[in-house]
Amino acid sequence: MQGNTACAEGALAAGCRFFGGYPITPSTEVAEHMAAKLPKTGGVFIQMEDEIAGIAAVIGASWTGMRAMTATSGPGFSLMMENIGFAVMTETPCVLVNIQRGGPSTGQPTMSAQGDMFQCRFGSHGDYSIIALSPSSVQEMYELTIKSFDLADRFRVPVFLMADEIIGHMRERIEIPPSVPRVERKPLARGVLPFHPDEDLVPGFPQFGMGYGVHVTGLTHDERGYPCTTSPSLHEELVKRLVAKIESARHEIADYRVTNPDAEVVFITYGSPARSVEQVIHDNPSDRVGHLRFRVVWPFPEKTLWEFPNARVFLVPEQNLGQMAREIERHTSVPVISLPKLGGALHTPEELKRAMEAWR
Amino acid sequence: MRLVIDERRCKGCNLCTMVCPYRIFKPGTKPNARGIVVPELDRPERCANCRLQALYGRTLCGMCQMICPDQAIRWEEEKPGEATKVAIEF
Amino acid sequence: MTYADWLREDRLPHIYCAGCGNGTVINCTLNALDRMGWKKEETIFVSGIGCSSRAPGYIVTDSLHTTHGRALAFATGIKMANPALHVVVFTGDGDLAAIGGNHFIHACRRNIDLTVVCMNNQIYGMTGGQGSPTTPRGALSTTTPYGSQEPAFDLCELASAAGANFVSRWTSYHVKELTRAVHTGFETPGFSFIEALVQCPTNYGRRNKFRNVMDQIEYFKTHGILLQKVKRLREEGKPIPDDAIVLGDFVQRNRAAMGVRR
Ligand SMILES: Cc1ncc(C[n+]2csc(CCOP(=O)(O)OP(=O)(O)O)c2C)c(N)n1
Ligand code: SF4
Ligand code: SF4
Ligand code: SF4
Ligand SMILES: [Mg+2]
Repeated sequence: MQGNTACAEGALAAGCRFFGGYPITPSTEVAEHMAAKLPKTGGVFIQMEDEIAGIAAVIGASWTGMRAMTATSGPGFSLMMENIGFAVMTETPCVLVNIQRGGPSTGQPTMSAQGDMFQCRFGSHGDYSIIALSPSSVQEMYELTIKSFDLADRFRVPVFLMADEIIGHMRERIEIPPSVPRVERKPLARGVLPFHPDEDLVPGFPQFGMGYGVHVTGLTHDERGYPCTTSPSLHEELVKRLVAKIESARHEIADYRVTNPDAEVVFITYGSPARSVEQVIHDNPSDRVGHLRFRVVWPFPEKTLWEFPNARVFLVPEQNLGQMAREIERHTSVPVISLPKLGGALHTPEELKRAMEAWR
Repeated sequence: MRLVIDERRCKGCNLCTMVCPYRIFKPGTKPNARGIVVPELDRPERCANCRLQALYGRTLCGMCQMICPDQAIRWEEEKPGEATKVAIEF
Repeated sequence: MTYADWLREDRLPHIYCAGCGNGTVINCTLNALDRMGWKKEETIFVSGIGCSSRAPGYIVTDSLHTTHGRALAFATGIKMANPALHVVVFTGDGDLAAIGGNHFIHACRRNIDLTVVCMNNQIYGMTGGQGSPTTPRGALSTTTPYGSQEPAFDLCELASAAGANFVSRWTSYHVKELTRAVHTGFETPGFSFIEALVQCPTNYGRRNKFRNVMDQIEYFKTHGILLQKVKRLREEGKPIPDDAIVLGDFVQRNRAAMGVRR
């Protein structure tokens, strides 16, 4: 199965019943598969007039209680930024798939990249936090898409599946489980104000059409949902809660894989570069090469770095100029070496081995 | 029923004075506590709603209420025992 | 029930300036809504950004106050996801025809079952009176200090050409007709577009020779001309005044529509 198809299959298995989007290479197969399958499951596929409308329709659909998603790549992702901020501010669960390609601008439409890792974290204006996952196999395209929906509903936040073109277009055998458990959206208890958070800082969801009579706005709002744009303390409290509900759960959200925790030389990866590192480990079993692979990239789980107590260096191969390497550097005193690669090709095992040599 | 202007809502735009066929609304003369010059009512009992709204069970005419941008015009039940003036025009 | 039952009493008075026509359009829309007998829990208001777009915040139903220009795209998602809901959109001339122009024509083309009420004050009210795509040629605004040089959009012609099932224009003076038009819009399956010309005394009237609110209402009253009359004048080869405001139902048809309740 192709990575993009696995993503769509994962969405369907997770109960996603709404897709709104706009075609863009290399993500289009996700939309095409949803267009074929959704009508047969009683769902809705709609090709909107642009990506701004795509994410807007997804947010609208989500308020009716549906699991909803869109899929895009760089240029479309840039267009979505304003409405992503809206989803954050209004605490709308939704899933955005970004099959990353080379940028800036139209860049390399058919080539792989990981250049949007900061954009998904910081791309919309204002302070906020989101959740981002990164699959490094077709199996994970399936699994992590399902996980994205659960996280979106649990935390009422946009969740990003930050894949890259290589994973999106790769073909592999995958195993599909007979049934998929599902985390339901916590409904708003009657009598509770619509934006009053529970202990986990997440408010119950007042689904449209259920008689809650809720006003949902992207303006700074109080717990009733009413705009209140002049109180500094109310704004500060709201923004801090939106960030804290994600950041304070980051170790619960964390999802990663560790190989050779006693290693001194440790690779840190997410997405397709993980595969080159796995090749290096496979080819050099006696070298005890360490590997920390993130399946969830944001919120950044800094404690995962402690899994390698003997680490003398973290080597970070990425298909960008060192975006996550920068984040890792903030959290450790171990030297962090970025191994950037642009243009679309994977890091070769030889390149990675050469980078290791210097640290023996 | 009694025609009232809700002084907490009225912003004194005088649009109501333009539309009443009976010219019940007159531009006000002095500002109220909120600094707003609320229109004055000239013999509001002439309004069809004061006389007939309860009987018909719906709002008649209603031009003033519809155009009032501030949702400030309404008809209130008279308190029992309150003296009511009935104006009948031919 | 009356229109007052649809208002969020705890949020009134609203933020609109004294004499702003938006409040009147809310009244007309809620009156029409009340006549439909729809339930509060099956009615959703959606809007973009602008003074006009603040209206849903004063209505008791579920409502979504979205981003500038995008209300129709959000509304499309809601309506397609749950066609049992009645979705009503409030928008402004800038919101609908400038930044949201593309969503507007595509929502008309899809003929999606929404009722869209545009409060056209011919200006960007909320941001302090900049020119909009419907600012008449020659009119003054903060960004057209020498008079607008750009020809304006005719929103009703645009909606008609793009495929809406019902298209109508009235003003904040014509409250009965406007209410009837919104009511017809609610009843019509497919995309219904109702343009309500409204006064913005603060940012349009003041700069354009309307000394007070009543002057602009008077202008709507005296310059309004029914579409039927315009057609007749045209047939008779008689001139139609340049500053005429053409009022009436532009289109009422039954093109294939999307998102209609089954
Ligand atoms: C993307 C974006 N650009 C600009 C603005 C600033 N803005 C807020 S309201 C507005 C104009 C609104 O005009 P209109 O839709 O006519 O509404 P009105 O206030 O006149 O009712 C603009 C430009 C914004 N909020 N978002
Ligand atoms: S309802 Fe009609 S008659 Fe009565 S006060 Fe209002 S405008 Fe005048
Ligand atoms: S129309 Fe309404 S707000 Fe304006 S003056 Fe009359 S009562 Fe007051
Ligand atoms: S600025 Fe204009 S449109 Fe906005 S509330 Fe004031 S009068 Fe109304
Ligand atoms: Mg405007």
